[in-house]
Amino acid sequence: MFAGAFMMGAKDRLLPPSVPYRFFATAVVLHFAGWAALLAGAEDVPGFQGGLGPALAGLHLMTLGVLAMTAIGAAFQLLPVATRRQLGPVWACRLTWWLYAPGVAVLGLGMATAAPWALHAGAALTVAGLALFGVLVARNLLQVTDLPSVTLHVWLALASLAALAGLGVALVVDIDAGFLGHRASAAAAHAVLGGYGFMGMLAMGFSYVLVPMFVLAQPVPDRVGRTTAAVSLLALGLGAGGALAGQGVVAALGGLAGLVAVGLHVKGLMEVLKTRMRRKLEPFFRLVKAAWALLPASVLAGVALALGAPSELVAPLWGFLLVFGWLLSFVTGVLQRIMPFLASMHSGADGRKPALLSQLTASRPLAIHAACHGAAVVLITAGLMAPSPLAVAAGAGLGLAGATAFAAFAVELMRRYRNHQRTHPPQDNGELARC
Amino acid sequence: MVEAAVGAASENPGPPGWLAMALDVEPFDVRPLLARAEDPLAAILTRAGSVDFGGFLVVDAPFNPTPLRRVLAAQGFSSYGRRLSSSHWRIFFHMDGGRDWERDAEVESGPEGALTWREEDGLHIDVRKLTPPLPMLAILRAIEAMAMPEPLVVHHERVPRFLFPELAERGWKVARVTEEFADVRLWLEPEA
Repeated sequence: MFAGAFMMGAKDRLLPPSVPYRFFATAVVLHFAGWAALLAGAEDVPGFQGGLGPALAGLHLMTLGVLAMTAIGAAFQLLPVATRRQLGPVWACRLTWWLYAPGVAVLGLGMATAAPWALHAGAALTVAGLALFGVLVARNLLQVTDLPSVTLHVWLALASLAALAGLGVALVVDIDAGFLGHRASAAAAHAVLGGYGFMGMLAMGFSYVLVPMFVLAQPVPDRVGRTTAAVSLLALGLGAGGALAGQGVVAALGGLAGLVAVGLHVKGLMEVLKTRMRRKLEPFFRLVKAAWALLPASVLAGVALALGAPSELVAPLWGFLLVFGWLLSFVTGVLQRIMPFLASMHSGADGRKPALLSQLTASRPLAIHAACHGAAVVLITAGLMAPSPLAVAAGAGLGLAGATAFAAFAVELMRRYRNHQRTHPPQDNGELARC
Repeated sequence: MVEAAVGAASENPGPPGWLAMALDVEPFDVRPLLARAEDPLAAILTRAGSVDFGGFLVVDAPFNPTPLRRVLAAQGFSSYGRRLSSSHWRIFFHMDGGRDWERDAEVESGPEGALTWREEDGLHIDVRKLTPPLPMLAILRAIEAMAMPEPLVVHHERVPRFLFPELAERGWKVARVTEEFADVRLWLEPEA
């Protein structure tokens, strides 16, 4: 237990709802934009191995705009509660959004249109936002001596973020300057660090808090978290290092170590599910389980690529399974649970009767999203293997429809939240009403 | 599960406010010494001697060490004892001049490590020092285990915001909250 844990009251840790929700709302909008960009660039997606255009824009709108955007909002809200330490001033959290959200939008525009000013300005703002996020999270983690299952993975995510941001800037500058000796190797290392390092380690670390909290179960034992972090470190080192050096066998060994980490991670969470108090898993869990299946599939595709499988076929498949398969399934699953949960929590923060989670959640749009998302993943995977631009376009269209349904869920959530606040006046119940 | 309060504590049932800070102190477990037939008194008194005013000492023993508590009360220590099991007591000492000199509670330890006991105002549960999400789990388990709903008094180190949506789903509400330094108490009860 860390010293001085009592120095901070719960009210200090509760951010204004506008802070996490501005990130979540942006993620919902860019989710739509990402699928739209992929649809626009569907012709180029089969055989895609890099290069400016709508396909690259769609990929980054998803990674930076949806995955990382959600992760930042969730981290700002959840990390201080999980670690019981302050994260940073609210203005710094807001500033992160003001740097990062326009940065991602402009970077996406630059990638889609090949406009150098947008590429450079977007990359600079995006990196600045991510750097501020990294500093805030690092300050929080430096005060924590327990919760190794969470903190070790978040540290790995931050280390990966620093490396991938450096590589990302180098890749953007290289478009004009052309100084990278082997651009494809740098891009592959950038993908490993971004997908499995930054986003993957955040997903694994936060899963160790979120999954037990959502299913009401005992957390994963610390030894499991320490082990998955150690094996992940090895996997990331070998995977990214091997990719950067152009050593396919080394990168493949990293992939195999990654499979071990994934196996331990999923096994640990399955054990959590066995002890849960909430007998029936909520609908969002279908996406989480799909993500658990797609994660090792993406690693296997990466290993095959590293061992010399045809890159025009396997490279886009690997990237798609990693970003749209594993990470997007996981993040949209978690986001649809976190958004109404936080809305319910904030609805009772000033002494009001809290809005019921079940009443805030519109289940029909979420069912439509899940069906469209699943069909999109299957169709595009088939379209990449065939290869068939038509199947990719059809899949992207379904993904766009799913993103529209997800946006409808988010709008309806806000409408129900505001309606609840309007019809339930605050009540005085001691300190609670003043927190 | 019976709360037995003596001395100054009888006017103020429940654990003392200073307990929240004492929970941070690593217990001195004298059970191995006693198992080897060694008298731990000297070691305890040595440690007690190094406690400054306002400080704490925590002792784990196989029984309620009443003589020791009286000895330390004479030196200015208040104490609060918890019977964790039939052969395990944890005594929290606080050097405060002996204002709140001796209290005991028989408690039950749940699977999450939360301690529960009964007082006149209902069932009490202490979830301090548990890492998230264990406090929420322990509180919801206590609520769901009730055959007849009754008030539940939660001893926490913070206002557990993430608990509120789960309470609302179960038809429970937070009736009252008091928040003092290192000691947050919530009175939970079913919605009328």
